[in-house]
Amino acid sequence: MIRVLIVDDHPALRAGLTTVLRAEPGLVVAGESAGGETLEPALRRCRPDVVLLDYHLPGEDGIQVCHRLKRTVLPPRVLLYSAHASPALAIPALVAGADGLVNKGVSALDLFEAIRLAARGDRRLPRISQALVADASSRVHIDDRPLLGMVIDGSTPAEAAETLGVELDQVNRRTQRLLGALRLEIPT
Amino acid sequence: MSPRAVLALAARLPGKGSDVRWLGLLLAARLLAAVFAVLLLLVSGLRDLEAELVVAALAWGMVSAAIIWWGTTIRSSPAWWVADGTVCLGLVVLSGDWRSPFYLLWLTALALPAVSVRLRRVPPLAVLASGSFLAVATAGGPVPGSLGPVASETLAIHLVLPAGLICGLAYAADALRRLDAERAQRERLAIEAERRRIAFELHDSAKQRVHAAHLLASSLRGGVDPSLEASLEQTVTELESASADMDTSVAELRSPLEGRPLADALRARADELALAGGVRITVRGHAPELPPLHLAHAFRVGAEALSNAIRHADASRIVVTLEQELGRFALRVTDDGKGLPATTRTGATGLLAMESRAATIGGRLTVGERAGARGTCVLLEIPIEKETTP
Repeated sequence: MIRVLIVDDHPALRAGLTTVLRAEPGLVVAGESAGGETLEPALRRCRPDVVLLDYHLPGEDGIQVCHRLKRTVLPPRVLLYSAHASPALAIPALVAGADGLVNKGVSALDLFEAIRLAARGDRRLPRISQALVADASSRVHIDDRPLLGMVIDGSTPAEAAETLGVELDQVNRRTQRLLGALRLEIPT
Repeated sequence: MSPRAVLALAARLPGKGSDVRWLGLLLAARLLAAVFAVLLLLVSGLRDLEAELVVAALAWGMVSAAIIWWGTTIRSSPAWWVADGTVCLGLVVLSGDWRSPFYLLWLTALALPAVSVRLRRVPPLAVLASGSFLAVATAGGPVPGSLGPVASETLAIHLVLPAGLICGLAYAADALRRLDAERAQRERLAIEAERRRIAFELHDSAKQRVHAAHLLASSLRGGVDPSLEASLEQTVTELESASADMDTSVAELRSPLEGRPLADALRARADELALAGGVRITVRGHAPELPPLHLAHAFRVGAEALSNAIRHADASRIVVTLEQELGRFALRVTDDGKGLPATTRTGATGLLAMESRAATIGGRLTVGERAGARGTCVLLEIPIEKETTP
């Protein structure tokens, strides 16, 4: 059984997702949250295997929430669920440690598949083009470029900390700065 | 001229109603001044030459009124202001006394320049008007000072009045202009905010519901009676199209300019495109004041032309020029690429979309070969609505 937590600020979509996921054998909806302050209690209560996380959340965006979730002890798998199929989202998702990026327009079967893959530990993100990397590195501080390169190459924060010769805490802080610089102005 | 007659005429004239009312008022004042001057002359008894003067004053009053009313371009030209002022002062000189009632006619000649010139040119204009009357008084009539203190006071009033009139009218006209500009700006912002709100609603509410419905419908695939499978498939397809349509609408609703001038927005787009490398894009000139919708469409046409030049024409150098010429705004995108294909691809939707955008705003799109060199030139022309000045 894969325990899924749905995080989306829109009730209609939460209801739809709950209905669809409940009907699928092997998946169970452990809880749902509208994001913001309701997220922490929901996480503690249902200890999900996979968090299906909306990109557009009130206040903090999905990328920031993802990065925070991934820094906890025993982090859940996180699938970013976005209404925008923008490939530009791939790099921020990667940096934030997301396990997958799913477009809200995909069919139910594809969504189930993505959840199963994430639960198994398969990290699937869209291919990152040369142009995207060029754009991303032009936007981040020159000191953060090595870190960005390592993350895109697939290094874990711990490996990055060792290579750069700094504490893990500092890598986390710099990752946060990276995310701030890479923040996308996606129309809402 | 009765107010009703003025309004009836206003309906047949181009320009704003308030402009026409103001013009009617000005002409009424001018004719009144001419008639008043003539009556004064008649009452005081005609001496030699004054019969001709009466005829000249009446004739000039009518002719100038006609010119001001119908000559839209003439009435805003400085040459006309000078000519009108000179004729009126001439009448004052001919009447042999600077205290002549034709002075009133001359005062009405000052109104048009006063409301038309820029505020910083108003003080020199006022000084010029008072100065020229002082010259006329000194040269033409009984020399000031020779008539005693009462006449000196009259002269002082005659000199202060034109300056005061010019300053007052100019100030009022400037205040109106600023008010107009501010209102236009506020309207633009309000429209922008409303479009943003609709886009937000569409994206945040309607589209999420469509996603939910799509998800529910797609989860039924393979689980329903085979006879229903086809309609289920159709439902899923329709929902997918609805979601795509909403994306398009949201993109259309969000003004691409975000409050920036057109040239800056195009420059930003050019920088984004140039990131891909290998192409140099220059943006020259700037756009005149145009309605926001026109600017948004012009931007999309320009952006599409840019990406076409990069994607299909392999251009290495692209020049975007924004020009204002004779009642129209021209946006030109010229590249040095391999030019247009001999036959237009079927389904060249980009080009069709650009043409329909141009048509939407009453403009014209011309896509052709670059004059005298290799490459393509895309030209968008938009007519500029001419502002009428009183």
